[in-house]
Amino acid sequence: MAGALTERDFVKKLERAGFVEIEVLERTPMGIDDCALFPLFTDELLATMRRLIPPQRLDKIAVSAIIRAQRSQVLFPG
Amino acid sequence: MSRDLLHQEEIRALVREAYGSVDSTSRAVAEKLYSQEELEGVPAVALDHALGVGNHLRYASIEPGGTVLDLGCGSGIDSILAARRTGPTGRVLALDFLPEMLERTAAAAVEADLDNVETIEGEMEAIPLPDESVDCVISNAVLNLSPRKARALAECARVLRPGGELCLADLTVDEDELPPEVLTHPAAWAG
Repeated sequence: MAGALTERDFVKKLERAGFVEIEVLERTPMGIDDCALFPLFTDELLATMRRLIPPQRLDKIAVSAIIRAQRSQVLFPG
Repeated sequence: MSRDLLHQEEIRALVREAYGSVDSTSRAVAEKLYSQEELEGVPAVALDHALGVGNHLRYASIEPGGTVLDLGCGSGIDSILAARRTGPTGRVLALDFLPEMLERTAAAAVEADLDNVETIEGEMEAIPLPDESVDCVISNAVLNLSPRKARALAECARVLRPGGELCLADLTVDEDELPPEVLTHPAAWAG
């Protein structure tokens, strides 16, 4: 999660890499309870998040996005 | 800003350690993301260790006979589901930088009686495949782990054929970043 990009930066990086027709098909909020499903989120990290993230943000700490794009016909023309 | 808080090699080491030590027996993530119909026949080793954040395969153009790259295959749930769709004339190249994950994916493929899943050890920033050799790249909760995302995406573009598809699920965050104490917590780079 600490390495996640904003959606805008993600799309920009896709464009720069040579992708076109970029679509964000789903956006699903991911809250603290969703994080707790993953063994990668340690109890200590979850406690830190509960302590430091404002309560109103705990239901949407991040967003799970589904993104689809096509590789352009020619990479880096010219 | 968050990229500057830890060095690339530190991030890589944290991710390697966290994922290498995951030993889950919970199917909560798999059951949240996929339908019972999709999960039918998927081996337990793939179900128990599913760590994705979405079901991108519902949108992916995976055709019979096609070649699919599963970038960061983990324990293989998406590779198994994709391999069913490519059928025996197609193949899934399951890439991960952790041998433990590749062993799980290979075991799941054998148990699912799929011989069109090939595991490949490698990093997403240096995909060991030829140019334009893949029809579709899929990836689930993996790009956020890369300390060099632009490089990883450029590699996806390089290995895809012209017009090929990248379909992924991943975490995004809002502009107002998480607290620094969270961003620098080692587990936050893997979770």
